[in-house]
Amino acid sequence: MNMTQVEQLSKPSIVSRLFGESLFARRRWWGLLFVLPVIIFFVIFNVYPIINGVYLSMTSFTLLRPPVWIGFENYIELMQDRLFIQSVLVTLGFVAGATVPVWILSLLAAVLFFQRFPGRDYLKTVFYTPVLPSLVVISIIWKVLLHPNGILTFALKPLTGMPEIRWLNDFQLSPISMIIVNDWATIPFFMLIWLAGLTGISKELREAAMVDGASRLQSFLKIELPLLRPTALFVAAISTINAFQGFTLQWVMTPDRGGPLNVNTTLGLYIWQNGFVYYRMGIAAAASVILFGIIILVTALQMSLARSDQFSSD
Amino acid sequence: MSHQQTSKPKSLLKRENIILFISGLVITFIFAFPLYMMITTSFKAESEVLAIPYHWLPHEFQGFNNYIAAFDIAPLGLFAFNSTFMAVIDVLFTVFFSALAGYGFAKFDFPGRKILFWFILVIIMMPSQILFLPLYIQVRSFGWDDSYAGLIIPGIFNAFGVFMMRQFALSLPNEMMDAARIDGASEPRIFLRIIFPLLAPASASLAIIIFLFSWNNFLWPLIIIKSEQLRTLPLGMPVYTQPYLGQPRWAVAMAVSTMAVLPVALLFIFFQRYFIQGLTMSGIKG
Repeated sequence: MNMTQVEQLSKPSIVSRLFGESLFARRRWWGLLFVLPVIIFFVIFNVYPIINGVYLSMTSFTLLRPPVWIGFENYIELMQDRLFIQSVLVTLGFVAGATVPVWILSLLAAVLFFQRFPGRDYLKTVFYTPVLPSLVVISIIWKVLLHPNGILTFALKPLTGMPEIRWLNDFQLSPISMIIVNDWATIPFFMLIWLAGLTGISKELREAAMVDGASRLQSFLKIELPLLRPTALFVAAISTINAFQGFTLQWVMTPDRGGPLNVNTTLGLYIWQNGFVYYRMGIAAAASVILFGIIILVTALQMSLARSDQFSSD
Repeated sequence: MSHQQTSKPKSLLKRENIILFISGLVITFIFAFPLYMMITTSFKAESEVLAIPYHWLPHEFQGFNNYIAAFDIAPLGLFAFNSTFMAVIDVLFTVFFSALAGYGFAKFDFPGRKILFWFILVIIMMPSQILFLPLYIQVRSFGWDDSYAGLIIPGIFNAFGVFMMRQFALSLPNEMMDAARIDGASEPRIFLRIIFPLLAPASASLAIIIFLFSWNNFLWPLIIIKSEQLRTLPLGMPVYTQPYLGQPRWAVAMAVSTMAVLPVALLFIFFQRYFIQGLTMSGIKG
C-alpha cells in the first residue's frame, strides 16, 4: 500500500502513468491486465444476459422468431395467471420452512458440537456428511425414504397408526416433505457456519463471564449470541436466497415436476416450465425479473434489520 | 441449570458428558441415516429395499451386482466422463484466473480498481435463477446449444473465487515481489513463479468447492443439454428413479448415488481442512 501511495504523489498525470519510465508507474497497468479476463467474461456471461433478460421480459419471444416489443403485457399477464400467483405463494411457504427452522436447529447443533465431550469430533464429522451429496442424489435418496410404505412411514407408525403415508403425492403433505428434505440437507452446512462463528469468539470473554457468576445459558444469551450477529446475518441471507431459488428437490421428487396440483411449483419451476417446456421466453423472463425483485427486497430488508450492528461496517 | 455443589465436580462433569454424548449421537443418527441407507441399500436385493421391519444390513448381499446393472440401464460411464470433464476444466480455469485477478486487485493500484471490485461483489450476489434464462438465450445465439462448449464455458470463471483469492493475496508480503522486480523479473513471471505458488493453500480450498459445485450442478446442464451422450451425472441420474423394464430399481439407484458421492467423499476424507474452509467461505450448497 505504501508504495502505491508514493507513486500516486510522484506521478499524478494519466499520461505519465501510461508512458512514464518509472518501473512502478508502469507496473500498475499489469494489475488491470490481470483482472481484465474475468471482467470481460462477466460482462459477456452475466451483465449482458441480465440486461437482455429485462428487455426480453417486455417482448413476446418464442425462440422461433425475433422478439417483438409488447411493453408490460407479460407482467400484466403474470398478475392474472393463477398459477403464477400460486407459485409465488408456494415459494414463500418453502422459504418460510427453509429458513427459520434451519437457523434455530443449525444453531442448536453448533452449540452442542461446540461443547467438549468424548467422541465429539467423530460425531461432528459424521453429522455434517449431508454436505457431500448433490441435491439430485439427496432427492433420489429421499424418494426411497419417503416411499408410501417406506422406512419413515414405518418409523412413525406408532404415532400415526397409518400403514401408508403418501409423503410426495398428497397435496397437503408434499410441501412439508420438501421442507423436511431441504432442512435435512442444509442444517449441517449452516451448523458449520455457526461453528466457525462460535470459534471466532474469544475464550477469555466467555471465561470472564463465567467468573462473574454467569451461568452457561446466561453467558450464551448475553455474550455469544450478540457477537454472533455477523454470522447470523450471513446464515439468514444465504439460506433465504437459496430457498427462493428452490428448484432441484421439487423437480426430481414431486410428481409432474411441481405437482400434485402444482402445490410444489416454485417460481424457479414456473420459470423453467414456461421457458423450456412451453418456450414462452418473454413470460419466463418477466417472472425471473419479479423473482429477482423479491430476492433483492427481502435481502435488503434483512440487511437493514442488521444495520445497527457494529460489525456490519466491513 | 442447577447450582452445583462443588464437592464432586468430576462425577458431575461425567453426567453432563453423557447427556451431551447422547444428544450428539441422536442428531448424528438422524442426519447420517439417509446416507447409511443409501450405501447399505446399494448392496441389497430389490425385494428387500422396502422390507418391514427394516433390514439394517443386506440379508441377500448382492456384491456389486447393482453397480454393474446401473451401467446397463443408462450410459453411466459417459455421464461420469462428462461430469469429470466439466469439473476439471471449471477447476483449472477458475483457480488460475481467480488467482490472477485476485492478485491484480490486491497488489496493484490501477485506475478503476475500486469500481471493478464492486462489480465483482455485485456478480457474487447475483442469484443464479435470474441468470439462467437470458444466459441460455445468449449461449444459444453463439450456437452452443446442446454442446460441450455451452455446458462448460459459462461456468469456467467464478466471481466468488476472485474475491476469495484477493483476500488471501492481500496478506502476501510486498517485499518478495519488489525484490524480484529489482532483479528484473517480468510481472507475469512474478505471478507464475512467486505469487501463484504462495496462493496454493487458497487454491486448494477454491479447487475443492469449484469441483463440488461443478460436479453437483443440475440446473444449467438441465437447460443446455438435450442429447443423452452429453448428460452429466446429476442430469442422468433421475432416470434411475423410474421403473426399468417394468421393475422399480431402487437398489440400483442407490448404487448410482453412492458412486456419484464417492469422488466428493474422497476429497472430503483426504482434504478435510481445505474442504471445510472452502465450504464455510463460499456459502454454496446445491
